[in-house]
Amino acid sequence: MGFLAGAAPVVVIAFLLGLAVSVLTLLMMLTTMVMRMNSLRMERIDADARALWHPLLSHAAAGHLGTLPTLQARHVRGFIEVWNEVHEPLRGGTTDALAELARAGDLPRHLYRFLGQTTFHHRVMAIIALGHLKRGESFDRVLPFLNDKSPILSLCAARSLMQLDPERAVPKLVPLIVERTYWSQGVVASILTESEQAIVTEPMADATLHATSDVAPRLIRFLAGVSPESAAPIIREALRTSSDERIISTCLQSMTDPADLDCVRPLLSHPLWYIRMQAASTLGALGVPGDEHRLVVMLRDTQWWVRYRAAQALLRLKFIGADDARRIHDSQTDAFARDILSHVLAERSIEAPT
Amino acid sequence: MTELMATWLLDLQWVFFAYFILISAGYLTLHYIAVISTIRYMRDNRAEYLPRILPSYQPPISILIPAYNEEQSIISSIHSVLRLEYPEFEVVVVNDGSSDGTLARLIAEFSMHEFPEAYRQRLATQRIRGVWASPLYPRLRVVDKENGGKSDALNAGINCIRYPLFCAIDADCILNPGSLARVVRPFLDDSTTVASGGVVRVLNGCTVKNGFLEKVELPRRLLPLIQSVEYLRAFRFGRMGWSPLNALLVISGAFGVFYKEHVVAVGGYRTDTVGEDMELVVRLHRKLRRERRPYRITFVPDPICWTEVPSDLKSLKAQRIRWQQGLAESIIPNLRLLFSRRAGLVGLVAFPFMILFELLGPIVELLGYVAMITLWLLHLIPLQSFLVFLFLAVGMGIMQSTNAIFLERLSFQMYPRIGQQLILFAAAIVENFGYRQMTAVFRLIGLGRWFFSGKARSDWGQITRDGSWQSEEAPAEVVSAVAPRSGFRQ
Repeated sequence: MGFLAGAAPVVVIAFLLGLAVSVLTLLMMLTTMVMRMNSLRMERIDADARALWHPLLSHAAAGHLGTLPTLQARHVRGFIEVWNEVHEPLRGGTTDALAELARAGDLPRHLYRFLGQTTFHHRVMAIIALGHLKRGESFDRVLPFLNDKSPILSLCAARSLMQLDPERAVPKLVPLIVERTYWSQGVVASILTESEQAIVTEPMADATLHATSDVAPRLIRFLAGVSPESAAPIIREALRTSSDERIISTCLQSMTDPADLDCVRPLLSHPLWYIRMQAASTLGALGVPGDEHRLVVMLRDTQWWVRYRAAQALLRLKFIGADDARRIHDSQTDAFARDILSHVLAERSIEAPT
Repeated sequence: MTELMATWLLDLQWVFFAYFILISAGYLTLHYIAVISTIRYMRDNRAEYLPRILPSYQPPISILIPAYNEEQSIISSIHSVLRLEYPEFEVVVVNDGSSDGTLARLIAEFSMHEFPEAYRQRLATQRIRGVWASPLYPRLRVVDKENGGKSDALNAGINCIRYPLFCAIDADCILNPGSLARVVRPFLDDSTTVASGGVVRVLNGCTVKNGFLEKVELPRRLLPLIQSVEYLRAFRFGRMGWSPLNALLVISGAFGVFYKEHVVAVGGYRTDTVGEDMELVVRLHRKLRRERRPYRITFVPDPICWTEVPSDLKSLKAQRIRWQQGLAESIIPNLRLLFSRRAGLVGLVAFPFMILFELLGPIVELLGYVAMITLWLLHLIPLQSFLVFLFLAVGMGIMQSTNAIFLERLSFQMYPRIGQQLILFAAAIVENFGYRQMTAVFRLIGLGRWFFSGKARSDWGQITRDGSWQSEEAPAEVVSAVAPRSGFRQ
């Protein structure tokens, strides 16, 4: 520091700051390198585990169980990752050979140990693996994670519980589906459709009937995904009684029963354009002869989207052929109606090239 | 007179020093926030923990590619886009009156025919000459229009798209197959999301085959290599730091997803700016804050979009001048956001930060260098002081870049080899000796151009393309380009 003798205070402060910054930078560089080397080592171990266990687990998934090596402690993490990966396409859970392999590798013990660890990755992988393993006694071990504040962890626990014991899981899960708006809807729908329809339908229908207008659209969509037949009476009732635009819109999108068309037709003149648009789409999917005239009128709607959907719906009607469509097009005197029909006719010819 | 100037310059030392401390503290805070949010993000996204989301729950997306004289790279980009792993999307390419063979190449490559589009003009644009579609690639449409600049092309595309979300990407970008699913996730997780952006990476040095990124490598030339470090800095802690505060002011024009109706509601992209991407985001903040509506503008840290950066000084200079001009054009018309009562952290922190350190940064930085050199030449400060300030400035610069490399290590590690890490560290050091000062000069010119030239016009800011990363073979996705499921959804 002798070279700073007599320097202005600002220069001394600047030098000390520069020194601190340099030390911090060097530390950061060193940490980065050490972390990188460490993760390279871990990646190598996981790759070794994968190379050893992936073929064995794949064979076991196909029902063949050969001679098994001992599961080394350092390969446990890699093994669990492969275990989950192999199970993902199986859908119906583990096979006998995989269950045998799990027993031989003492997998449940390793998974319970992972559940107790603080590493997020280990806990989630263990929860998923326990679900695939389908041993009912694991239910109570996984249950506390249903209330974890991490949506990833709680959703994985929900799925795992549904695999372990769906009858016990459903009464715990349905209230949470109603309550937790932050749970990804696509994932919840996926968990519900993976489950046995008979177990899920009734509690979901019951929850939908008692839901507030904020929650109802979400639940109607879930229910229609699991069981369109169970959703139909609820949709019918909602369309008759509700004036909530979100509920009406969801019901229109989820309808599958042509018997309900009488609820749809009045909505073709709804003051909100997107309700008219949804009603036109629904009519296109379920409509019967006579409905084409209603859709033709909508080709002159003031909203582009209503005209577009009406044109698509018109061409989607099973009883409207290519000649009928051309005739309807030629008979239009309104320029907007003709333009939108030309557009949708061209679109259809592109989507289904002959 | 000389004495007066010298006293003034000596006093200015303290101003520079205070500014320097402030900017360093600001960036370190951002770095700290970015570290926390990166760790959290990586914890939740290290693996695909959750079951695959049902396709019907993934919103359909329109991909919007504005193009002007892009005949060299457009085909590659579209092939990469057409092979994205996403259930339902359409691709709308807007040819902004290119003077080269862009349109002809598109028509020939994708066997396109004229399409009777019922065009709906919600945003005013230059005249549309025609719309083209292809029976072989049903997801693809090309809108051919008269030249009006990038914003005008984007607005024309918005008029044509079918879906409620759109993803604007540059015509020279290469996407990862899972990009769209990643960048859409914030819209699924939070229904108030109005926009999300992703990481843009440097393509120079990489290998692209059939529109797909085959091999990730660092650029071999110095200029693009230094820009790789710059991109890490900008995205790893610039954007990742602001996003958790919901104060993100920039979503790169190269890759961003927007809720269409919000963009239409603010009048679309402004055509009188060269920084249309940032300006749009700032305007969205301003409108939604004014209306007191809950919203989120989010950044996704996954490496999803790759773009070629300038490899010659002329292109780099033009790009940086344009960026700085765009920054000024985005900030000044939206100055009401500054310290506005309703603007929250955007108005209180992010906007002042942007003005003080990004907009005025080059002025202060260059003035600092000039003042220090002048004082030293006039023997008013000893060489020792000059070197100490240089040591601090360079040290701080290296630390910022090292932090970004550290964040990269915490996240996706696109450059995993130890050798690559060392090259990045070397670039982080080298950039402080000449490159930073040079770009500061370019940015100052940009500010001057904004100040003296009045209203700009959204242009294309093209760079000289190297294109050496392309390695084309016969495209294979023609068979996998599945038609969208019948009936587009609103």
